[in-house]
Amino acid sequence: MAQVTLSEIRKSYGSVNVIHGVDLQINDGEFVVLVGPSGCGKSTLLRMIAGLETITGGTLDIGGRIVNDLDPKDRDIAMVFQSYALYPHMTAATNMGFSLEHRGGSKAEIEERVNWAAGILGLEALLDRYPRQLSGGQRQRVAMGRAIVRNPQVFLFDEPLSNLDAKLRVVMRGEIKSLHQKLKTTTVYVTHDQVEAMTMADRIVVLNRGRVEQIGAPLDLYDRPANRFVAGFIGSPSMNFIEGTITAEGFATAGLTVPLPIKAQSHVGGPAILGIRPEHLRLDPAGIRAEVLLVEPMGAETQVTMLLGNTQVIGVFRERVDLSPDTVINVMPDVAAIHLFDTDGGQRLD
Amino acid sequence: MKTDLSPRLRVALYGLMCVLLIPFVFPTWWMVTSSIKPISDIFAFPPQLIPQNYDWTTYSKVFELQPFVQQYWNSAYIAAVVTIGTMVVSSMAGYAFARIRFPYADTIFMIVLLGLLIPSEVTIVPLFQMFLKAGMVNTHWPLILVPIFGAPSVFVTFVMRQFFVTLPAELEEAARVDGLGRFKIFRKIALPLAKPALASVAIFTFLHSWNLFLEPIVFLSSADKFTLPQALTQYTDAYGGPMWNIQLAAATLTALPVLIVFIIAQKQFVEGLAHTGLKG
Repeated sequence: MAQVTLSEIRKSYGSVNVIHGVDLQINDGEFVVLVGPSGCGKSTLLRMIAGLETITGGTLDIGGRIVNDLDPKDRDIAMVFQSYALYPHMTAATNMGFSLEHRGGSKAEIEERVNWAAGILGLEALLDRYPRQLSGGQRQRVAMGRAIVRNPQVFLFDEPLSNLDAKLRVVMRGEIKSLHQKLKTTTVYVTHDQVEAMTMADRIVVLNRGRVEQIGAPLDLYDRPANRFVAGFIGSPSMNFIEGTITAEGFATAGLTVPLPIKAQSHVGGPAILGIRPEHLRLDPAGIRAEVLLVEPMGAETQVTMLLGNTQVIGVFRERVDLSPDTVINVMPDVAAIHLFDTDGGQRLD
Repeated sequence: MKTDLSPRLRVALYGLMCVLLIPFVFPTWWMVTSSIKPISDIFAFPPQLIPQNYDWTTYSKVFELQPFVQQYWNSAYIAAVVTIGTMVVSSMAGYAFARIRFPYADTIFMIVLLGLLIPSEVTIVPLFQMFLKAGMVNTHWPLILVPIFGAPSVFVTFVMRQFFVTLPAELEEAARVDGLGRFKIFRKIALPLAKPALASVAIFTFLHSWNLFLEPIVFLSSADKFTLPQALTQYTDAYGGPMWNIQLAAATLTALPVLIVFIIAQKQFVEGLAHTGLKG
């Protein structure tokens, strides 16, 4: 286990800068998830930690050593790849023990470590099988076995669940999380799926266009997003955004006025963007008029897409609502859960 | 192929296939049967598809008239060395062109490929002069070195490169994380996965060397150094006329290992054709 510190890490391909100076400290035993849309640089950052990409600038420290110029094998890390990258010509056991074998481990030691990893991951019966004889979930577990077998200082996961179906993804999510709880190894996990990020991370790092937008615990990011990007990225369905102006009465948009918490009053007179999460809208006869466009019953909740003034918004209602398109309803935002962002950089207004 | 053909169509199809088979089967049949006919029966009219008279002494004469065992050995070991050498050189070269980023890699690869465009007849004279200066004429070195570093190897390098390009990069990255260096990644990961490609190019390389004719004719002059295709031309009478039945007996013995290999490795051979994109 080790602390990982990224200081002003930069990456360029020729004149194109893809990572613009990332500072991040990952504590010993922490599970950190790098999340962001495609092309945001999260996989590049992970590969730089792994040593599979060179670092253009800044320093990378793993366990108190600057490792910028070290080969992957000398960084004491293990990585689980998106495609699992199991060696097709080796059995599950050989795949798992390969790195130990290469590092000169004795046969007995390798067998012991492989059996230990297989025991943790429930792979005992599959050790003699080749990757082609395993299902997606089993391959995933073998890939994790290969990572844990030599007890590295840091685990790196590069979108390891994206090749699995939705149901298996949920199962494996739980397995990775419980594996981390057992081993307490520092883990950096890359995903584009914010649900994975929310459910697995001790802390989330939201990346966008090679820059860190916000770092924080999952619920901190959810409750107090630093900017409009994070607010829109974290949470499903996404936060609703409505453009308007802050007035003494509240937030005015398209002839409507939404009451605001007192803290927003300091921005009176300026344009702003109001953010409200779908579950923070409730049906209220005294609320704002909205035209229903689409109703999607999910069982536990109902998702309603509606037109509020000129803006399309989504509301999620826990109660069973009997609505149909073209009907008119009244919704009221939970004033305490309103977020305000400026219109220029999308930064949070507090 | 569809399996729901009508019986009539099926008969027609098989009939057509039998007709198409004739140009391939007939020469082999003629070679084998003529090798045990007296020479007068070979040119009898009407032709005898099934021998009327048998002369098995042709096979013993093959060994009496030439050091045929020695020539057989020459062909076999040269083909084996060339095959192994080409596999080693070309798999490494193919891997380097596919996986290692070095300056002007693509340009160098194109230059290497140009070697395929130059017919061996064009380079044979300079090669002869080169090997003459090196004191290697009338040795087997030219027959080993030219294919390993010449056009056949270029072809195999191209095939291997195309194979290695398709190997997922993540496999190599996983191996790097597991602690392997470049050469070990090649030897422990890339090469074992290249077995199907290696098997197919090995068959072609072996056949190419086994059938090599121009180079032995140019470089070798002693009968005990000859390879089989060259030895076949030596079965002539005092007037230089071919001793057809003995020559065909030698030809049958020459073709035998290839036929056996083909029958055993038929599946790999066909897959190899598909793999290399060759038409034969």
